[in-house]
Amino acid sequence: MSFITWQYLLFLPLVLIIYWQLPGKWRLVLLLAASYFFYACWDVRFLALVLTTTIIDYICALSIEGKRTRTVWVLVLALLPAGWLGGCSFFLPASGINLVILAAAGALGLAFFIGHEIIWRLTPEKRPRFYLILSIGFCLGILGFFKYFGFFLDSAHNLLTFLGLKPNRVLLQIILPVGISFYTFQSLGYVIDVYRGHSPACSSLLTFATYDAFFPQMVAGPIERGRHLIPQLEQTQVFNPVYLQDGLRLILVGFFKKVFVADNCALLANYVFAPQTPLNGYWAVLGVVAFAFQIYGDFSGYTDIARGSAKLLGVDLAENFRFPYFARNPSEFWGRWHISLSTWFRDYLYIPLGGNRGSKWETVRNLAVTMLLAGLWHGANWIFVVWGAYHGLLLILYRVVPALRSLGDEKSTSVTRGVLAMALMWIVVLGGWAIFRSANLHQLGLWLAALGQWQTTGFLPWASSSIWLLLHVAPLLLLQILTWKYRDETSLGQVPWPVRGVVYALMLLLIVSSTEHDTEFIYFQF
Amino acid sequence: MQMKKWFTPAFLLAVLLLGLGELGARLFFAADISGRFEYGYSPDAGFDERRDGTVKLFRAGGRRFHPQSFQRQRPEGTFRIFVIGDSVPRGPSFKGAYPWLLGKELQQHRIKAESVNMALPGYGARRCQVVLRKALEFQPSLIILHVNDSNKYEDEREYRRSQEFKTWHPRNWPMKIFIFRRLYEAKVEKVFWRLVPEQIRLKFAARDADAQVAASHDPEEVRARVQLARETTAASVALAQAARVPVLLITQCRVWPDEKKSFYFEDHGLDDLGRSLASEGVYFLSMKEVFAGLPDARSFFSDSGHLKQSGHLLLAQAVVRKIGEAHRQLGLTAFKVDGRDGGG
Repeated sequence: MSFITWQYLLFLPLVLIIYWQLPGKWRLVLLLAASYFFYACWDVRFLALVLTTTIIDYICALSIEGKRTRTVWVLVLALLPAGWLGGCSFFLPASGINLVILAAAGALGLAFFIGHEIIWRLTPEKRPRFYLILSIGFCLGILGFFKYFGFFLDSAHNLLTFLGLKPNRVLLQIILPVGISFYTFQSLGYVIDVYRGHSPACSSLLTFATYDAFFPQMVAGPIERGRHLIPQLEQTQVFNPVYLQDGLRLILVGFFKKVFVADNCALLANYVFAPQTPLNGYWAVLGVVAFAFQIYGDFSGYTDIARGSAKLLGVDLAENFRFPYFARNPSEFWGRWHISLSTWFRDYLYIPLGGNRGSKWETVRNLAVTMLLAGLWHGANWIFVVWGAYHGLLLILYRVVPALRSLGDEKSTSVTRGVLAMALMWIVVLGGWAIFRSANLHQLGLWLAALGQWQTTGFLPWASSSIWLLLHVAPLLLLQILTWKYRDETSLGQVPWPVRGVVYALMLLLIVSSTEHDTEFIYFQF
Repeated sequence: MQMKKWFTPAFLLAVLLLGLGELGARLFFAADISGRFEYGYSPDAGFDERRDGTVKLFRAGGRRFHPQSFQRQRPEGTFRIFVIGDSVPRGPSFKGAYPWLLGKELQQHRIKAESVNMALPGYGARRCQVVLRKALEFQPSLIILHVNDSNKYEDEREYRRSQEFKTWHPRNWPMKIFIFRRLYEAKVEKVFWRLVPEQIRLKFAARDADAQVAASHDPEEVRARVQLARETTAASVALAQAARVPVLLITQCRVWPDEKKSFYFEDHGLDDLGRSLASEGVYFLSMKEVFAGLPDARSFFSDSGHLKQSGHLLLAQAVVRKIGEAHRQLGLTAFKVDGRDGGG
């Protein structure tokens, strides 16, 4: 179920009404059921993967803390995903679940059970590390299989073909489960935190399962930390009208960004980056600017709706965007764009690799590895690896070239220098978006070639389309200017109420006037 | 106090602004709203039937009528003509269009005529039939129905638009609010269609009625649409016949330049259709035949299909001649033919 469907606009109020009527202990039951229903609306089969991740990380985290889960209980839980698939196969014969899939799911459960029992027999000092490895191995294994197996298979096939060999192609159609990268990283982050002692292991399976599958942020983040979200879920909230006010405001802003800004910008971006589109420089620039606002409106809009939906339930989700296009250097950009992912990579990869504590070259290496993997996280395509490498290069250059550090210095009080740095950063970010949006390197090459072609004959007129883009971006920029001084792009609540009232009415009008497009959120594919 | 606790002043202000907007629109623009989102498929849009028996034609509901008025009850001894069609009979202006000139011409033939221009730009057979149904309520002496096949696309597009938010499905709820719907419509027409090149709309706009229809270049579908237009015209004729109202079918044509720096007429087989439908009480006039014999025929056209005022005058005279030929059947005993009294 997507946020921008009428189903969600019925689902959310229904959940809210029941949620606030229920006594505390039953609320989590409702939230978990609602979350699984929300996810099952996409594909009921893939709930088995959510269950697998949840069960593995729940048991591993407890075991890391030295808490023994009863053997029978571990076995039952480990086989639960296979049981779920069996149920799907029985009740939904068209689901395509066959004996091979059931056997694989059962084998995976048994493998985990055996691994768990073997590790428990090690000395208490050794156990935590091995349970961490078990958790990471299983979760990344599942992620790798469903997200990257086809990609690596294709790449290996292409490489062997390039070398003159004739490899047999293994035909294996694997559907990418929605949100797998998000909930896997969230779950992994929790286990690593427990291992490091930053977070206690959650003793309630119900609470942990709700944390893993919390519907507002399950499929596209923000990637929550256990120590931030779990205590909120455990606490019995008393309804406060502020939840309603803040929640609805966030949802309204989110819808505005998604429906009005992103979906309208998408029209031009999709045209420019479609195969066979003849491009000149004007269209190439127009297309990438349109995409920059599309992806920002799309993803930050999703985040706002997620945060607003959670707020209505009395839960605060992490901030994910903070005026990213006003960043003055690459490092600041990643502190403002998809904050929950960039901090995840910082805390669980970059710092463990050594961060910037070693020599300059070690720092360069750590940055490169982190950004390459961050790029690959976005999708199983070489273009995302190139995008990660591009941003890694920007971060490295910013770190090693003193002139760039001086220009992009966030503490500088010079307005001219600040504006120049923002403009420069905006241009290099656009370069990144051109890579990100291209289907492959060939298309990226065509886009770059178009930048050398400034003739207008033979191309669609671009001027009216640029007015279209401006009409849909200007209200967003006005909104950002309005909230800029509060350092929080969702701080519309702090703006004087008469202005806010007019802004609400205008946003609602603009949202409804743009309902002709039905596009999905971009980050659902990751 | 409770209200203040639940809703912020800003929220209440937004609701107030939207509420006032909606209320204002419904109070002060009630006539404009009538049939606004039926896109020509509302039976009554543009017809204002007053209590004093006057019927006023005005612009509303996707119908850009020339403002005119007539009595609901046809005055005794008046020959009432309703001209129904597209932008061709609607003409460049009210007095420059042939329906008005026709009234003047008929008066010269001692006929107390009342010729009402009910033609609307972009109207094809489907929407003309909706206008015809309404027109038949006002006791016409003759219906002049223009036959074209160039507006089938607009008919189809507007029909889809009229159906777009019609149901009470939850996704359509916001569009039940007039100001939302009006803004949506304004955006589609004034911004979307104007600023975004057609090639982009056709390919990437998911819910654009214009794109949906235009995207279907399937020859079978186009042929089916032409066939539907023809069947609808035949049904319209049958409708008038059932109401015992005579019909004059005017089949339109297009004029194109040819390679010899001359021109040729094209009727897409409409003349054959008109001839096939002609029967008792159903008359037929071919625009192609009216203009084709003239050496400077092209000069009567402002473009390939629309007439200049001089063309309208010529057409009005042709219609008068047609009426003259059938004046007895039409009950016009006082019709003066070539200086002689038709009534004999």
